[in-house]
Amino acid sequence: MERLDGRLGFWSAGPIALMLTAFFLAPMVVIAAFSVMPQRVFEFTQMPDFSSYRVIFEQRIYMPLVWSLGMALVATLILFVICWPLAFAMAKVFKRFTLVVTIGVVMTLFVSENIRLFGWILTLMRGGLIEGHLRAWTGLSFESPLYDIPAIVFGLVYVYLPFMLFPLAQGISMVPDDARQAAVDLGASRWRVLWEIELPLAAPGIMVGGLLTFVLAAGAMAEAKLLGGQAVVVISDEIETAFTFGQNWPLGSALAILLIAIIGSLAVFAVSRLDLDALMGRKRS
Amino acid sequence: MRISRRSFAQGAGSLAALGVMGRSARVLGQTSDELNILCWEGYNTDDVLGPFRDLHPGATVRAESGTSDPDMINRLRAGESNVWHLINVNQPWARAQLYPEGLILPLDQERFMPYFERMTPPYNGPYPLAIAPDGELIGMPQRYGPFSFVVNTDVISRDMAEDQGWNLFLDPALAGRYGILTYDNWNVMHMCITGGLNPFEPLDEAGFVTFRQIADQIFAGARLLTDDLVAMNTALINGEIDCYFTGGTYTASPARLDGLSNVRGITPRSGPINGKGGVVWAELTSVVNNPNASTLAPDFLEYVQAPDICKAVGFAEGTYNPVAQMADPDVLALWDEDELDAIQWDSLPEEMENSVEYDVVASYAELIEIYNAAKRERG
Repeated sequence: MERLDGRLGFWSAGPIALMLTAFFLAPMVVIAAFSVMPQRVFEFTQMPDFSSYRVIFEQRIYMPLVWSLGMALVATLILFVICWPLAFAMAKVFKRFTLVVTIGVVMTLFVSENIRLFGWILTLMRGGLIEGHLRAWTGLSFESPLYDIPAIVFGLVYVYLPFMLFPLAQGISMVPDDARQAAVDLGASRWRVLWEIELPLAAPGIMVGGLLTFVLAAGAMAEAKLLGGQAVVVISDEIETAFTFGQNWPLGSALAILLIAIIGSLAVFAVSRLDLDALMGRKRS
Repeated sequence: MRISRRSFAQGAGSLAALGVMGRSARVLGQTSDELNILCWEGYNTDDVLGPFRDLHPGATVRAESGTSDPDMINRLRAGESNVWHLINVNQPWARAQLYPEGLILPLDQERFMPYFERMTPPYNGPYPLAIAPDGELIGMPQRYGPFSFVVNTDVISRDMAEDQGWNLFLDPALAGRYGILTYDNWNVMHMCITGGLNPFEPLDEAGFVTFRQIADQIFAGARLLTDDLVAMNTALINGEIDCYFTGGTYTASPARLDGLSNVRGITPRSGPINGKGGVVWAELTSVVNNPNASTLAPDFLEYVQAPDICKAVGFAEGTYNPVAQMADPDVLALWDEDELDAIQWDSLPEEMENSVEYDVVASYAELIEIYNAAKRERG
């Protein structure tokens, strides 16, 4: 019976395995092969020389990677802090109103990211919705917050909020009310309940939300280009430049491989420490 | 397993041979019911494609707009020459890369040469960049436009901008008051010209040092960088900036057609390339060396020469541009006064006179590296 199960499992996994090989693994192999080729070649029939990796460190081309990872980390931390109260309310307080919040947040995803960011440009720019009205009503004015690093982080926080909010709400819903009440009955302060009961028990949701937002924010480009006026060059922009105007596919591939390696290691580490079944409520230990 | 240089080369050779076999298997194909066009925006609009589809009701005619010349060329290199039948990119690429790499095919001179007689100079004659070194005709020109920089003439007068030229961006008083439109290959060219260098000739070490200084200074003084011309025009109109580095009729025309005639493309009156400081682009449309060639590709090239289609191409959604065929009175008559103002028709001959052809930047590989480093480390 076990052998039959194994065989059925093997065959049913076949189509998805084939699809992943063709559409996920094959492009990765091509990118990996290009990354070790000499500079500015357009085919991988040359002798590998790994020069792109040397160039990345010699010419400090890793800086966009550092900026992307740094801003993604800051955005993830900010998102965690601002999403926690809302997620807590969605999981424990709002009841039916949770559906309204969910629909409201999900609706934003129906509009293209670029259009939403452009909306923020029109809101924040000089003479825009905020500064323009303030100047018209009071005569006061201020410099537009656009085209700087905080504007990029703001864009990341705004765009990736749903990806932190929903896993967090799911995680918080796993915290049994009995455990919190017992802690309070035993004299624990609100902070102690948060630190010793809620955060550890909601950890899978925090991990998923953090991972999703960090990975997406690390590869984001539109926020830096539109709101940030490219105050810093982010890694996805650097990769795009290498493939297009730079005409240097091996350099672009090596940068992509570095990004994939860092993000991939992080994802594998996080997922290995995560009990997804418990998070989805399918398993009770 | 150890991979020696020889065994690697053998393996790679086998892979390449497999690729060639794959291609040769399709070499004999020819179709008359399909046409795929990879182009700049404009050729993919219904105004342009609709009448052609009506002429060929059984054919599937598809056009996709690219985001940059190198991007479109990369797609052909990456194997999409099996997909596309026509490619429309700026003038230097056909002669410098597409034709030498065997990605495009020569056109029938007997069929297409007569169309050059209806074109405005320098495209009549015929246009030198449409002719390969071996004498073959490799593309047909249509849209063109001077492309240097754009100012808000309410703040910086046209006369002053044309007179100062690229030095405008080196003026400390303008620091923080301009943007850079990140059309990087254009910026490389324009930063050379700003530094008094001719980008179309190889640069020496001193030239690279000058280029780096200019790139550092221009990036450091920029208020914003974006590759989105709408975002850039918005910043210009709302007073975030007074001008932007790299731009012209192509980028200023949408704002001008909306009535904002203070947004104006500027061509400097002088510069380091035989006394000229402006650059003009022109698109060439070429037939892709597709193993499954389409007989509709040359038909389409002929079709876009008709006056109403010339207008549709020049005035497609997004940006508005003059077309080489406007030397023909029947074509010119289709533009009204506002539309001519949007494409700066009044100053076009003068701007063309002060511009040189967009060409391949001789030291591009080194310059783009320096440019990217300056961009990365800006501020």
